[in-house]
Amino acid sequence: MTVSVARAPSLIPWLLVAGTILFFAISTGRTQPNGGQHASDFTSVEYFEPPYQQQMKSRVSGAEAQPQAGGLLVIRQLKLETFNPDGKPEMIVNAPECVYDTLNHVASSPGHLKAQTGDGKFRVEGDGFLWRQNDSFLTISNNVHTVIENARK
Amino acid sequence: MKYRPATFFCLFAFLAMANSARLCAQTGTNADVAKATNAAVKVSMSAATNATPVAQPVKSRPLTLIEADGPADFDLTVRRVIYHDHVRVDNPEMKLSCEWLAADLPQGGEPVTNIVAETNVVIDATDDKGQKLHATGAQAVYIYAVQSGVTNKTVTLTGNARVEYGQAVLTGDVIVCDLAHNHLSVPNNPKMIIHENFNSPAAATNAPPVTNRPAADTNFPPGKLDLVPEHHVPPLNH
Repeated sequence: MTVSVARAPSLIPWLLVAGTILFFAISTGRTQPNGGQHASDFTSVEYFEPPYQQQMKSRVSGAEAQPQAGGLLVIRQLKLETFNPDGKPEMIVNAPECVYDTLNHVASSPGHLKAQTGDGKFRVEGDGFLWRQNDSFLTISNNVHTVIENARK
Repeated sequence: MKYRPATFFCLFAFLAMANSARLCAQTGTNADVAKATNAAVKVSMSAATNATPVAQPVKSRPLTLIEADGPADFDLTVRRVIYHDHVRVDNPEMKLSCEWLAADLPQGGEPVTNIVAETNVVIDATDDKGQKLHATGAQAVYIYAVQSGVTNKTVTLTGNARVEYGQAVLTGDVIVCDLAHNHLSVPNNPKMIIHENFNSPAAATNAPPVTNRPAADTNFPPGKLDLVPEHHVPPLNH
């Protein structure tokens, strides 16, 4: 089955902003000592183009998100998931912290990262990463360590 | 000197057997060099060794480890990963090191089907009979495919390709290692060097030494450097 995976316009920045606003509107909110505000337990989803518009293409979630100047969000306990058009998980990325550029749809961090395919048979970790959401491109900068579970003979 | 492929195969198999089957070995030169031109070489890896099979312990699902000092790029659109700088691959069947490596990302538990390694490629492997293989080249391409129920698994070496297998050293423009059928082939410009191991028990013999020195073509007494042409230098005129 041939599947078009052409990108739809990214909704993530809008969803993130809307989610953040909604969070502050309906919750008591928590205020940082420096006056900054943050959201918790947010999720942002991007969908495939038709005819798979009902299927998630990627989902970004985090335990906390703190808005910064320039459309940046500091996300803690990042979890990034990508999916096949049939709904099966393709790649799962976890990082303790990253900065998400809502304007350019880029996430990056100098910290540690762990990623694995949906079936868990391909696992990789390293230090420092850059995730370009527009073209689904992940770069791990240093100390890259990959484990592949081979098929049984 | 020309050797046809069959000659290559027989020579390789014979010398491999000579090592393990304790055939008498000659003393004298420590290497026989055979070079074939315009001929392809196919060497059956399993037939070329009589090494004792290594017992295979019961293992859990085998793991392949890939490490790199430099960055790794994961292109999820085309499902490919590229590793940079001092890349090391370690799995139960082989170890590989190189400076750049690209591999497709397996999907749904399928095996990796395509790997390209470039720059200072070094591969060390041990076959199922315990025979070691050491291969080097500028590029190595691994391809895994199943067609009509037949599994094809090859590694193609190019760029100063060289394979050491047992006591043989095989070089050529391209060396194809067929991992599914355990044989090597060199389509073009093959060259094979086979090193005898004269320290092995097989070399212990009471036979008189035999040299490969060609028969003397002069009547000079023994010890004379009769193969060195003499040059008559005219006296200097002062």
